[in-house]
Amino acid sequence: MAAVVAPENTPVWVDTARCKACDICVDACPAGVLSMQQEPTSTLGAMISVIAPEACIGCNECELSCPDFAIYVAEKKEFKFAKLTDVSKARQEAIVNNGYRLPTEYKEN
Amino acid sequence: MAFNYDKYLRLEKMPTLWCWGCGDGVILKSFIRAVDKLGIKQDDMCVVSGIGCSGRFSSYVDFNTVHTTHGRTVAYATGIKLANPDKYVVCVAGDGDALAIGGNHTIHGCRRNIDITMIIINNFIYGLTNSQTSPTTPKGMWTVSQKAGNIDPTFDTCELAIASGASFVARESVTSPKKLEKVLVQAMQHKGFALVEALSNCHINLGRKNKMNSAMANLDWIDSITVSKKKYDTLSPEEQLNLLPTGILKQDTEADEYCDMYAEIRKVHQGERAKITQDDFEKKI
Repeated sequence: MAAVVAPENTPVWVDTARCKACDICVDACPAGVLSMQQEPTSTLGAMISVIAPEACIGCNECELSCPDFAIYVAEKKEFKFAKLTDVSKARQEAIVNNGYRLPTEYKEN
Repeated sequence: MAFNYDKYLRLEKMPTLWCWGCGDGVILKSFIRAVDKLGIKQDDMCVVSGIGCSGRFSSYVDFNTVHTTHGRTVAYATGIKLANPDKYVVCVAGDGDALAIGGNHTIHGCRRNIDITMIIINNFIYGLTNSQTSPTTPKGMWTVSQKAGNIDPTFDTCELAIASGASFVARESVTSPKKLEKVLVQAMQHKGFALVEALSNCHINLGRKNKMNSAMANLDWIDSITVSKKKYDTLSPEEQLNLLPTGILKQDTEADEYCDMYAEIRKVHQGERAKITQDDFEKKI
């Protein structure tokens, strides 16, 4: 029950106990907010992480397409979401082209 | 506050047993949102599922649920509906469950036009038993039972349902969960047999030897074979050949509903009316 209540000032949050690392949400996100990261204890060796919460546009695509009830997006009235920018789009493309993982050049920033 | 799916889930069964990226989870979520939108109480809904990956559906939702024998979902659901005509009854079956072993039950459910909503989750393969040819496996695909390539012609689920007499027939895919939710809302509101074919991905068992071994690759393939009904109608027969129309394909609100007819039979036996004759029906044959 607790998972559905938005943590303070958070647009999107994940339940890592339910995530199976299928990559669908990372592909669905238009703004490069989500990415897979290495997680040796997970079955597929990866786990979802929110890497750029400030870029979230609140489109809800990740939540709708997650088959495992693992991802939640705040409602539009309780969080002021960002607009979709070219920087976000470029990050999204780089993540998808890098096998749904965050490329190293983005990690340094 | 995000949408509270947990209200309708059996949390002790989470996470689901389905593979990573399985479309069944998306269909389950769409179904839960549709139920929430209609404001149906959990006690007023019965979910009936058969055998297969789709059979797990009834284990995860906190409604009245029955996990029945292979292919017999409609048979069980018919009994449940006739005994409780004021409750919502939803059947969930896979392509093998509803079209192969239970094909007979499905077409006769459609024929009777009883007020049941049936969701057929079509993933184009027998997923639970590891990749045997199902009635909807596309021609030429690799399966365990036809390793040289599948030569069996395929069933068009929606055409079958329309021909059998279902009064609401729709098709949607897991690539558009919002549309799927909308169609499920309309299907549950419809009085009569409502059949929704939900195209789903099975990148594990269909995709692994058919060049779609990730969820995204399989979803892209589903996207490439579906087109909206509106656009489909404008295409030439050659262009329509390898495409499936999505959206509501048939909606008939005039057809006689079976529970209403059954209530009349009850009245005859209670001496409240004369026997039913051919004059009672507009369409007799």
